[in-house]
Amino acid sequence: MSLAPLLQSKSLIICVGSGGVGKTTTAAALALRAAVLGRKALVLTIDPARRLANSLGLKRFGNDETRIDLSHLPDAKGELWAMMLDQQKTFDDLISRLSPDESRRQGILNNKVYRATADNISGSQDYMATEKLYDVVLSRRYDLVVLDTPPVKNALDFLEAPGRLARFLDQRVMKWFLEPYDESRVFGRLLMGTSAVVFRLLGFVFGKEFLTDLSEYFHQFRDLYDGFRERHEAVLKLFHSPATAFLVVGAPNEPSLEVAGFFLDELHQRGMGGAGVVVNQRHRVSGAPLDPKVLLGEAAAGAAADLPPPTAARLLARLGAAHRRLRELSAAESILVDGLRPHLRPGQSVWSVPRFEADVHDLAALDRIGAFLCAPPERVIGRG
Amino acid sequence: MNVTHLLQSRLLLVTGKGGTGKTTLSAALARLLADRGKRVCIVEIDSYRPALTAPLGVVPGYHPVSAGPRLDACNIVWRDALMEWLADTVPAERVVRALLTNKVVQPFLEATPGLRETVVLSKVLKLVDAYDVVVVDMPASGHTISLLGVPRVAVSLMRTGPIRERALAILDRLHRPDTALVIVALPEEMVVNEAVELWERLQKEVPGLRAPLVALNRAAPPSLSADETALLARLAAATPDTATPAGELVLAGRWEAGLEASTADALARLEAAFGAPPVSFARLGALGGFEGGPGRIVQQLAAALARQELAERSA
Repeated sequence: MSLAPLLQSKSLIICVGSGGVGKTTTAAALALRAAVLGRKALVLTIDPARRLANSLGLKRFGNDETRIDLSHLPDAKGELWAMMLDQQKTFDDLISRLSPDESRRQGILNNKVYRATADNISGSQDYMATEKLYDVVLSRRYDLVVLDTPPVKNALDFLEAPGRLARFLDQRVMKWFLEPYDESRVFGRLLMGTSAVVFRLLGFVFGKEFLTDLSEYFHQFRDLYDGFRERHEAVLKLFHSPATAFLVVGAPNEPSLEVAGFFLDELHQRGMGGAGVVVNQRHRVSGAPLDPKVLLGEAAAGAAADLPPPTAARLLARLGAAHRRLRELSAAESILVDGLRPHLRPGQSVWSVPRFEADVHDLAALDRIGAFLCAPPERVIGRG
Repeated sequence: MNVTHLLQSRLLLVTGKGGTGKTTLSAALARLLADRGKRVCIVEIDSYRPALTAPLGVVPGYHPVSAGPRLDACNIVWRDALMEWLADTVPAERVVRALLTNKVVQPFLEATPGLRETVVLSKVLKLVDAYDVVVVDMPASGHTISLLGVPRVAVSLMRTGPIRERALAILDRLHRPDTALVIVALPEEMVVNEAVELWERLQKEVPGLRAPLVALNRAAPPSLSADETALLARLAAATPDTATPAGELVLAGRWEAGLEASTADALARLEAAFGAPPVSFARLGALGGFEGGPGRIVQQLAAALARQELAERSA
């Protein structure tokens, strides 16, 4: 199956995979292709290195949805929008939306712990991505949202992100901190009973002042939990929805395709819909060994008439070596891609995108990639 | 920072964009130093599936496992690091157990901002005390910034207590002259951008960090003469269809020429951004050396590091 029907029918496509494999570029190319096919598509990226901005030829964009000018692609029937996640702003917006009143909002936004951590704690990136996702998908402003996920150390971090904040806001923790909340009494109550030893210890470990700051932080969040929980449940539902497809993105090297296989298995186990794998940066050759002297000898001799005599012979030798290398590379990559076979389930495919001579950073190049993604998938040898 | 200085350091932090070869370079550095008689521990952080397994042939656990003479490998899982840190910090074992089995404390510890990073780095510090050299295969750019930025945040948030003290010790370690940062890049425009941005952000998050050694992996050194390049361009113009055998040959040549050009470009940009030329490592084999087994590329890279050191000394 080509990816085109997916682009036509799904409302959310999530690109996952290890770092450095072209996830951002793939996500942008898919959104562009969907726009060409007539849909209103948004590509959402979380990447702190602002790679998508490069891909789209934009200098910079914030948390705002930016419409990309497609006027020089006359075939484009839909719209392409792009957004780069701004973590701090996403969290601030979320707090503003969920806060019952202005003083609470200010209380949280000015809290020392909140300010120090909202932007710089690992995992918050994954969480903010899902948070923004909830926003844009459920707003129904777009026909299709393509999400580029953050590079993860642990491949599962992203899929588990919605649960993490829920745990963070676990009711038991909150109760423990908040029920007795009264600035003067918070320590009093905690110093009684079974919690006493634990709390004294935490005070020793973190310093009493920090614990007080943290209590206040949790206290400020007290009415927001239900809102958080609801949103998380909605995002999890979104991950499992038949209108959502996960696309695993990889590069043709051993570690990256190992992660891709692992992702396919995990998605299957979680009952999430995986469409297959996009393998970027493939090197393709026709297969046969080629003799430069036979194929290009005459042409080279003719073209090198004004150059020193050994130039043509040297270049032909280099072309032969370069082509041998390319054939080896191509063969080795095919073996690696075939290794995905045991991880593919019925209906899942592999799409290969060749490596381009230059980095991809304009719409024309993204469009070329989109064309490969919408071509028939690669036949993976031995697949049943 | 050069390779000579790097090989004399006690704590080596290897970072860069995902897929640039951080793990392989870390393994090569660790092997080389162990071969020279140092007791080395190579570390990865919170890996669900340890990446060091491929280049070293062992599965690193939380407790270091042997990966050869004088070389140990470990994977610092933050929960184990937390337990160890608590055991070191809190006098009574009974109390630590009470703390860790308490249903309220569990999610609290998970939710406490910065705790994860602090205990992980704290374990790295302990390893530095236990070994001659510690090589850390750091997480990719974004997570490296979070990890190294946390001690400063912790110090600003906590006025007292052992975490603050530990965070201060970590900051001190990061600033010592025998702590070295390595940023790994590839000759690709976006990878170079990320290396430059990573360093800009690290300077903000961890002021005073010493300038890194930049390693350019998979470099293609120039091989075509100006005449050959000119002839290649003419042949390309004459055989525009890359689907023909002649066109495919020309494409192979242009592909090589492109790699050489992007290598030259990356070297120039990295030198301009970091104020010193990067160290480059030529690409090895068809798949960057994987076809010879990941262990082999580690050996080749270690040899390249030693050659580079020799070149620096004779220069």
